Amino acid sequence: MAVAAALLLPVGARADAGDSPVASTQELGAALGVEAGGRVSPGGFHLVGDYLYQLSDEDWFDSGLSVTIGGGGAGCFRDRDDDFLCDQGIARGFAAEAFAGVRRFFPGQGAFTPYARAALGARLVSFRGDEVTGFAVPIQLGGGIRARVADGIAVVAGSELRLGVGWFDHELGAEPQIGFAVHAGVDFAL
Amino acid sequence: MSRAVLALIALLAGCSVSSGCSVSSDVSREIGARCEDQDECDDRCLSGVRFPGGMCSQGCDDDSDCPDGSSCVVLAGGACLYSCTGDRGCDFLGDGWSCNAEAERGGEPDSMVMVCVGAP
Repeated sequence: MAVAAALLLPVGARADAGDSPVASTQELGAALGVEAGGRVSPGGFHLVGDYLYQLSDEDWFDSGLSVTIGGGGAGCFRDRDDDFLCDQGIARGFAAEAFAGVRRFFPGQGAFTPYARAALGARLVSFRGDEVTGFAVPIQLGGGIRARVADGIAVVAGSELRLGVGWFDHELGAEPQIGFAVHAGVDFAL
Repeated sequence: MSRAVLALIALLAGCSVSSGCSVSSDVSREIGARCEDQDECDDRCLSGVRFPGGMCSQGCDDDSDCPDGSSCVVLAGGACLYSCTGDRGCDFLGDGWSCNAEAERGGEPDSMVMVCVGAP
């Protein structure tokens, strides 16, 4: 909510974020972390690759690819009415996602620059242990902090909440997608 | 637009558009799920007339091996079955299930325990 509110603030009401943390209009980023899922939301190790393009002093177009790799056990079953249900653990399944959105940097202190981001994703989801697959459209809301460590190089740590809807086979139909990820990585100026 | 927002809220709250709130279930792969073979369960699938529709369960030597709300009985070589005090307590398992006394496994000699099971 705070992220959405920040993104909706008029430009004049925002503090100047100052110089870009890595002084470039384009960047590539890579991060590694973990994602917690559940039900039919995958969880496990979370790898992210970002492409950032500067839109304004504060806002950057943020797009990329991510994969979530979790365990392969089974978590689905048939209830007494013969409906097929899934109750996967927090770190099970696989997802590959493409996303695009906006990352906003806020005024920082010294080399540290906080940011918030919002993005829309499209992800393929699979739970090998149950042979369940689906397609999901999550919204990513998150933020973090970035620190410049050298010319054109910054380290970043952040987290994101993933909310959305997925459509799955095995008569599961539409199911919620809810996940939380934390990650750390490096951004490079191009 | 407002219906789409409501649908999204319902989904995020744990409900499915096609089948209602789907994952809130009294049963699980551990115990209670309907099954035809072992792959559908964490441990074992009990089948036959004593287990109408099949039921996931787990092997046990005494009650400490069983999930809360279930008891270890001699039936099926030692299996966890839902504890009950009357037939209504077994209604959630569907037709053919009732509350019966079965020999307890791992308890006092000749002790019986009330569990949900199909008619012999």
